[in-house]
Amino acid sequence: LDLSNCSLHSVPPELDEAATAIVLDLTENPLMTLPSGSFLGFTYLQRLAVPLALPCPGGSDAWQEVTVDGSGRLCQGQRNPCNGSTDLAWPCPENSACAPDGPGLIQCLCESPFHGYKCLREGTFPVLLFSGVLGTATLSLSLLLWGTQRRKAKT
Amino acid sequence: MALPGSLWRQPANRGLVSHCTHHHIVVFLLTFFSYSLLHASRKTFSNVKVSISSQWTPSCLNSTAPELQPYELWNSSHLFPNAEEATLFLGTLDTVFLFSYAVGLFVSGIVGDRLNLRWVLSFGMCSSALVEFFFGTLTEWLHFYNKWFYCCLWIVNGLLQSTGWPCVVAVMGNWFGKAGRGFVFGLWSACASVGNILGAFLASCVLKYGYEYAFLVTASVQFAGGVIVFFGLLTSPKEVGLPELGADEDVSVEEDANRPLMGSDDADDDDRNYSIQATDTDNQPKAIGFFQACCLPGVVLYSLAYACLKLVNYSFFFWLPFYLSNNFGWKEAEADQLSIWYDVGGIIGGTIQGLISDVLQKRAPVLAISLLFAVGSLFGYSRSPNSKPINAVIMAITGFFIGGPSNMISSAISADLGRQDLVKGSSEALATVTGIVDGTGSIGAAVGQYLVSLIQDNLGWMWVFYFFILMTSSTILFISPLIVREITLLLHERHLRMLAE
Repeated sequence: LDLSNCSLHSVPPELDEAATAIVLDLTENPLMTLPSGSFLGFTYLQRLAVPLALPCPGGSDAWQEVTVDGSGRLCQGQRNPCNGSTDLAWPCPENSACAPDGPGLIQCLCESPFHGYKCLREGTFPVLLFSGVLGTATLSLSLLLWGTQRRKAKT
Repeated sequence: MALPGSLWRQPANRGLVSHCTHHHIVVFLLTFFSYSLLHASRKTFSNVKVSISSQWTPSCLNSTAPELQPYELWNSSHLFPNAEEATLFLGTLDTVFLFSYAVGLFVSGIVGDRLNLRWVLSFGMCSSALVEFFFGTLTEWLHFYNKWFYCCLWIVNGLLQSTGWPCVVAVMGNWFGKAGRGFVFGLWSACASVGNILGAFLASCVLKYGYEYAFLVTASVQFAGGVIVFFGLLTSPKEVGLPELGADEDVSVEEDANRPLMGSDDADDDDRNYSIQATDTDNQPKAIGFFQACCLPGVVLYSLAYACLKLVNYSFFFWLPFYLSNNFGWKEAEADQLSIWYDVGGIIGGTIQGLISDVLQKRAPVLAISLLFAVGSLFGYSRSPNSKPINAVIMAITGFFIGGPSNMISSAISADLGRQDLVKGSSEALATVTGIVDGTGSIGAAVGQYLVSLIQDNLGWMWVFYFFILMTSSTILFISPLIVREITLLLHERHLRMLAE
């Protein structure tokens, strides 16, 4: 995806739609800063060219190779931040594991069998089994009690 | 000439054994478990509070760390900004529930006496189960989180759950006569504690699947219980042609010339003869009005006394985990387990004190002595050391002396009041009276929730215990006219017996 020389002053929000890009060129744009969340989801990005004034997103540790040439900075080979040499500033909460989410960015995804909001839920509830057992128990108890108790009732 | 003393003793023992048919056992068990299920769903709500507040709030990390991704997984729920606000709202839900439960108790008692008890009870159980299902499970499945919706549903739940207690006490009062009432009701009052244990057990089993399944399980089981009650409960012996309880009650010393049943010669023999029946020819009993029920002797005094006692009982029970973790630093799970000892003490206390009051045929003096000891044990508990076994023992003792009278007032004494001579056979008052007594008690309990947190915030835990002691003393104060009257009766009867020997 070539966005060089597009007179971009700031990272366009529509950039999110290009999250599957493997090569991205942003040179020769009067960009001031690269907000940290700009490249959220860009897990396939392998070659990123940014204007000289800006650092590689995620820092130099997030890329295997950072080269500087006249027109811009070239960040190559996105590293997996989860098994990087640097320790994570914060571990993922309980029941979730680190997964890459872009250059220098991580996301915490639920470890199986946990799922749901904040990975609080484990496994699936056996609804069929439960309703089957409860239904038969109710039916048999009701019949039994009706037969022994209420069948002779007057009201 | 039969001695008055032996006349008392015989009905008490023979009544319990000869009356016991399989109908009695089924009624005991059905009412026991239906109230347990109602209580279990309340306990479920308490136990899943932590999970619910996690569901309602975004993830909370220290402010330096960036937000967790993906957003939908960690931060998308913004019903409350943090866990403290969610806990505050859950506390509000509790209070709202208690108040609507109190209001509902007054109404349900009246309704239960006018309509068929079985219909009211099963309707209450099934519809309350539905409301709980909507509250916990449906909102989660549809991801619809709304504070007002939760509030309204929980108010409705309070009103529906209040149908339970007056109806079950009325049914038990219909089946179990004055003879063994204290003992049977004492044993039967264990249903609330059993419900607590059941609710805690069900919730902990299912919680890992998600709190919505805890609600689903308890609501479904409660609904099933309502259906079984509808098909299996006999509200009164006359539904199957057995003698109505008022007809062959024990012969009392004060001669009642209006009783056509009791021939003075064979007082002992036809006591148990079921063929002598007069009630079938009576008019269908009509329900008593609310104010008439209030004016029955003993109702107002016992209601106020119960308000104070239930305040202590509930506040002690609700705030115990906080106290234990604040004061001693114990974990919530341990505090929960320890509070079971309080319940156990209450069950044993209710049963034994019920038995004693049956033998004496007087309830108020037994209550008074137990409450005096309760003041002492509260004082002792406030000074208890930081040791789990000692704490558990003192807690069980406190439960024995506080829970015992509490159980008695709400069950056996309500049944006594609702079936006393003034209304026997001519009006249905049992459910109404139970509703009044328990309704006043619940208002006391609801007010107590606020007061305890207020006192604890401003003055500390020791003053909370002094407040409990004050409340227990006012309970004794409220029933003192009844104590005086019953003790004079007791002495008078003993005097008569000594004269006759």
